Amino acid sequence: MTESAIVSAAITDWMEAGTATPTAIERLTVPVIEALKRAKIKPKDLDAIIMNTTALPFSEPSYITISAQHFAHRIAEKIGSHGAQCINVCAACASGAIALATADAMIKAGSAKTVLVGGFDNSPRGFFYQGPSYLDADLTVSYPLKVVGITNPAYWAMWARRRAYEMGKSIEYIKELMAIVKEIHSEYGALNPHARYKKTFTVKDVLSSPVVCDPLHLFMICAVSSGGGAAVVMDMEKAKKVTDKPVKIAASTVGSPIYGEPSPRLVYFATYTGEKAKKPFTEWRKPIEAAYKQAGITAEDIDILECHDTSCFHTINWIDQVKGWEREETDKLIKDRQIRHDGQFPVNLSGGTSSFGEAVMSQAFVMIHELFLQLRGEAGERQARKKLEIGLCTAYGAYGSYGAIILEKGW
Amino acid sequence: MPIVEGLFTWPSDKPQLIASKCPLCGSIQFPASNVCNNPECDHEKPPEKILLSTEGTLYSYTIHMYDLRPPFEYHKAPFAIGAVEFPEGLIIVGRLTTTDEKKLKIGMKVRLKVSELYADEEKSYLTYFFEPVEGEE
Repeated sequence: MTESAIVSAAITDWMEAGTATPTAIERLTVPVIEALKRAKIKPKDLDAIIMNTTALPFSEPSYITISAQHFAHRIAEKIGSHGAQCINVCAACASGAIALATADAMIKAGSAKTVLVGGFDNSPRGFFYQGPSYLDADLTVSYPLKVVGITNPAYWAMWARRRAYEMGKSIEYIKELMAIVKEIHSEYGALNPHARYKKTFTVKDVLSSPVVCDPLHLFMICAVSSGGGAAVVMDMEKAKKVTDKPVKIAASTVGSPIYGEPSPRLVYFATYTGEKAKKPFTEWRKPIEAAYKQAGITAEDIDILECHDTSCFHTINWIDQVKGWEREETDKLIKDRQIRHDGQFPVNLSGGTSSFGEAVMSQAFVMIHELFLQLRGEAGERQARKKLEIGLCTAYGAYGSYGAIILEKGW
Repeated sequence: MPIVEGLFTWPSDKPQLIASKCPLCGSIQFPASNVCNNPECDHEKPPEKILLSTEGTLYSYTIHMYDLRPPFEYHKAPFAIGAVEFPEGLIIVGRLTTTDEKKLKIGMKVRLKVSELYADEEKSYLTYFFEPVEGEE
């Protein structure tokens, strides 16, 4: 069977949200050209270009300068177009992972041999506007912010409180655990030249920051940023001709809402009825389990994780779901600082969304870029100490949008 | 007036949330939908409107300490949000009537109440709230 591999990856520096100059297109062309050069190809060699950017009805019109419906086409024209297959992927925070999964599927299906994948976003400041759009007003999903005032962090805060409750732990316990996550992630953000926040935070700093919605403090929630990234994906045969370290896409899966998910999740008013899953977060778990199956591995084979940490609770929950073990084991791993570069299960050595801030549609490129570097042993001071073979990238988005990518040394 | 029509019965002495129930598979949705959301349902008949129980159990909650941005700036901090398990089998998010954490506890009984969310010069806008049931505090 045809295999696909990432042969090059590059990202922009992550900057403040709302940064209007240089424009999104101009900023993204930098990592795009870098990725093409490293892949030793020219735009004319691309069979397909898959891009993502935002199309949310944000309340600040000045931010809607780029559009999801033609971003790939504009990039194609900008760098030199020759009629490549252009596809625009728009799936909230999971977009980058889904764009990569699309490239993987195209290569395996034989409809492309060389694909440029990329994305850029310029998030709106403050809490995301997710009110009803006049084109898409649907009571079942569009109104919770208007009617209840519930923001994304409020959902996350309720999950964190519930986790503590189910474990018989106090709110202070989950707060401290989240603060440790921030402390560790910030240590690596400080070492990543592309991260927006290069300051290290201590547990004390985090717990002294203002409460946004209990138990979440301000420094436990990611900022919103602008930034983007790109990668060149080839079929393995071609990949081996341009690099001696191709990073194989061992699995790529896409997820969506699951009937029976028992926990309340953004951006809905209510959960489902019917038969409930025994454990919450089935929507997080299913793409990961599908990826394990596709790659023919188990959780124990994952050496390193890059996860979408829009809050510090997310890192905790991702480890719960990725490992599929008892929650106490996740907590021990974090408290023992075993998610550091010298730990037994390194997590977010990029610094995570925690250190980058979230450029919604392109955030997965931070994770994919980091795993690419880590597996090739090119992450410098952030390089994991243990021997790496397989890494997992998990991306999560609103409206049940998920993607999981397993990368493996292809040499 | 209700901030959004179709979420709860109003005017009413005993307001209730308006949901829909599939006559075939029994799946209940809030807010009411025009189509069943169960992937195993054959969708032969559309869902019917039903009214939900007025009491449920607090699943989780948080106190929001920041005001929201326009156009939702009427959500002024601090305000409390809860997720409530209904006897019908679904969990619904809504505003809580109190931000006093001492009065809130996961597992406690709460009751539906319709009150003013905000008012402008012309109108008073109502939404549904969950209120701790007395004796539960």
